[in-house]
Amino acid sequence: MVTVRLPEILDIRAASPLATELLHARGNPLTIDASNVARVGAQCIQVLLSAHATWTTDGMPLSVVHPSDALLEALETLGVPFTKISEQESTK
Amino acid sequence: MDPMAAIKQTFFQECEEQLVELESGLLKMEDGDDDLETVNAVFRAVHSIKGGAGAFGFDELVEFVHVFETTLDLIRSSRLAATPAVTKTLLRASDILADLVRAAREGGSADATAVQVIADELNALLGGAPRGDEEDNTISVESLDFEPVTISLDSIFDVGEEEAPATQDFIVRFKPSAGLYAKANETLRLLRELGRLGETSVECDIGEIPLLTELDPEGAYLCWTIRLTTSVSEQQVREIFEFVEWDCELSVETADVGKLLEELQESLEPREAPAERAAVAITIAEPAEKSVAVAPEPQSGPATSEDHPAAGKAEAAKGEGSGAVQATIRVDLDRVDRLINLVGELVINQAMLSQRVSEAGLSRASSVVIGLDELEQLTRDIQDSVMAIRAQPVKPVFQRMSRTVREVASMTGKSVRLVMDGEATEVDKTVIERLTDPLTHMIRNAVDHGIEKAEDRVAAGKPEEGLLRLSATHRSGRIVIEVADDGAGINRARVRQIAISKGLIPAEANLTDDEVDNLIFLPGFSTASSVSNISGRGVGMDVVKRAIQALGGRISISSVPGRGSTFSMSLPLTLAVLDGMVVTVGGQTLVIPLTAIIETLQPKKESVHELGSGARVIATRNTFTPLIDVGAVLLYRDEPIDPTSQVALLVESESGAKCALLVDAIQGQRQVVIKSLETNYGHVHGIAAATILGDGRVALILDVDAIVARPRADMIVAELPAAAE
Repeated sequence: MVTVRLPEILDIRAASPLATELLHARGNPLTIDASNVARVGAQCIQVLLSAHATWTTDGMPLSVVHPSDALLEALETLGVPFTKISEQESTK
Repeated sequence: MDPMAAIKQTFFQECEEQLVELESGLLKMEDGDDDLETVNAVFRAVHSIKGGAGAFGFDELVEFVHVFETTLDLIRSSRLAATPAVTKTLLRASDILADLVRAAREGGSADATAVQVIADELNALLGGAPRGDEEDNTISVESLDFEPVTISLDSIFDVGEEEAPATQDFIVRFKPSAGLYAKANETLRLLRELGRLGETSVECDIGEIPLLTELDPEGAYLCWTIRLTTSVSEQQVREIFEFVEWDCELSVETADVGKLLEELQESLEPREAPAERAAVAITIAEPAEKSVAVAPEPQSGPATSEDHPAAGKAEAAKGEGSGAVQATIRVDLDRVDRLINLVGELVINQAMLSQRVSEAGLSRASSVVIGLDELEQLTRDIQDSVMAIRAQPVKPVFQRMSRTVREVASMTGKSVRLVMDGEATEVDKTVIERLTDPLTHMIRNAVDHGIEKAEDRVAAGKPEEGLLRLSATHRSGRIVIEVADDGAGINRARVRQIAISKGLIPAEANLTDDEVDNLIFLPGFSTASSVSNISGRGVGMDVVKRAIQALGGRISISSVPGRGSTFSMSLPLTLAVLDGMVVTVGGQTLVIPLTAIIETLQPKKESVHELGSGARVIATRNTFTPLIDVGAVLLYRDEPIDPTSQVALLVESESGAKCALLVDAIQGQRQVVIKSLETNYGHVHGIAAATILGDGRVALILDVDAIVARPRADMIVAELPAAAE
């Protein structure tokens, strides 16, 4: 089990490092702690979507835990259901 | 191509189209068309150019367009009357605009003084008209800012919209490109702003998200469909996307049209899930001024632009207003050319098949032969249709000529009206492209030399304003373009005198009127006593003639003293196929273009005469024609051959010079696909191109002009007295 803690700012500059970090965790069950997220852009959401799709393909569990309000608001505005980035419902 | 360059290219393509619209609108206005729709079309064209130019930061262009647009706005709102003087200025402004666009595209700069002169004239017009409060008649720095949406056109297109229902449903489809994010724009913010306009329901299409290993973290994979219930206008919805317009695919439709579109999409692509696909390709033609969808990468797929009848006033808004709306599709030229090439191969292949079948000795009535005939017909049809794709109306070229006329007329102080005919006549794109230069030169010549000065015209009892007629028609598989003026006609005595003084003809030569007229096509001939600013740019009519000939065309002139001259050019509709006579020379197969051949003859011993150093002439109908052994010219043989054992083809070169070509035998007449020798190998003197025959062998296509020109150079003086006999 690997846990990745998301940084506060998830803007375009954070997208590449985030993708790299998640990719390193591939092959393991993954927990993403989203409690710190204060600002997030569409591209980091893309990374999270892709990660979820990747883990699903691998048959590995991936869950996003403690999503911050900022993250939930962003997902809602973008029309992306939480279940598309995490296998579990929001456990806030 | 990087996406930015691709978008720029699209912008410039659209500019070209808008410039054509602009000019045709202005010309209509010049002819007294005071329809509001015409003015609107003109305004829209200028406005669109301004929008794109602002986005790309072409400041010089934006600055000028702004003044231009403001002037047009005054006319549109009836605060400035479109008098002939005003439209003249506007036409010249459109010329300058075209220059500026070209400068922006080529990275150069336009003639700043000319721009300033017209800008000043426009400003003077602005100053002279009663102005609204919002108008600014000087070009201040602030006014240069790109503000594409400050002028609302809604009221013009839909009067009812002002009292529109309280709320309206819009379907906004939005697909950002990576460039949008790279420029620090954020979808999230756009969607939040959209949310402020009313009630939204957002659907995100995540279908294109790849696995993490394939993902470009800074790429753009998502697209959105937003249903917005709002009381604001479509214009205001669009404003939100104003700054990202070039970095996304965007469509905004009212919900009912959206539904129609989905149905249409569904019927087109039954296998696709319509909701996911709809946002990508199809857009509705706008009654308003903007292009609806901007595809960041035109190559990524053919974008279909549908003019949907439900889009309402779109038809009326179109320039011609001629009723039916035509759906068009923008395709890369390369693709069309590839298709044309393939069809060429098909034609060759079909010819091979025919040959095999005829070699097999099957009866003409056999089903294979009949089937093959049908195939041949079909192949021809396909070929014609494919060629039609490349065919374009000559209108853009013609319209450019109206500018030339204006410029030359104002330079020479003459008053000239250009009348155009048959602008819709279509011809291959390559032909069109290479037509501009010779045509420009002919038009210049006609205005500069052909049409007399106003006082001379009045003295001759003609209207003060000269008339120049430019027309295009299809005639027996060729396009004929005529430039006719109602000027003084060719001064034959003077032409003759010049030709003699320049040593182009012997002083005692006895020439027909036609022959004298044609002297102006000789290299080194120029009638203007001093090199004028307009015609004398180091280009004579001989260059025009060569350009036309290079296109496989011919040019002729007819002139009536005091009534004017007519230049007429006849050009092939395409440069890809050719009807030819297949002949054998020295064991080789050659193709001679059918257009050059006048007749075939069997040389008799008594009609062939030796002429000095091995040259021979053949007597036909009381004239002597040089006899050329093609085999010797192409070095297939070095022994002179007995002409009576050969067949002579009487050919006429594009210059009108006649020659008899000796060949061993005639095989037949055939349509051949032209394959460039230059592209694939190199230039060979006397050979124009190559083709592949039915049996798979390569045959060379003879360059009749080159073959005829060489020996004639030695013979021209010798021939003239013979013709005079």
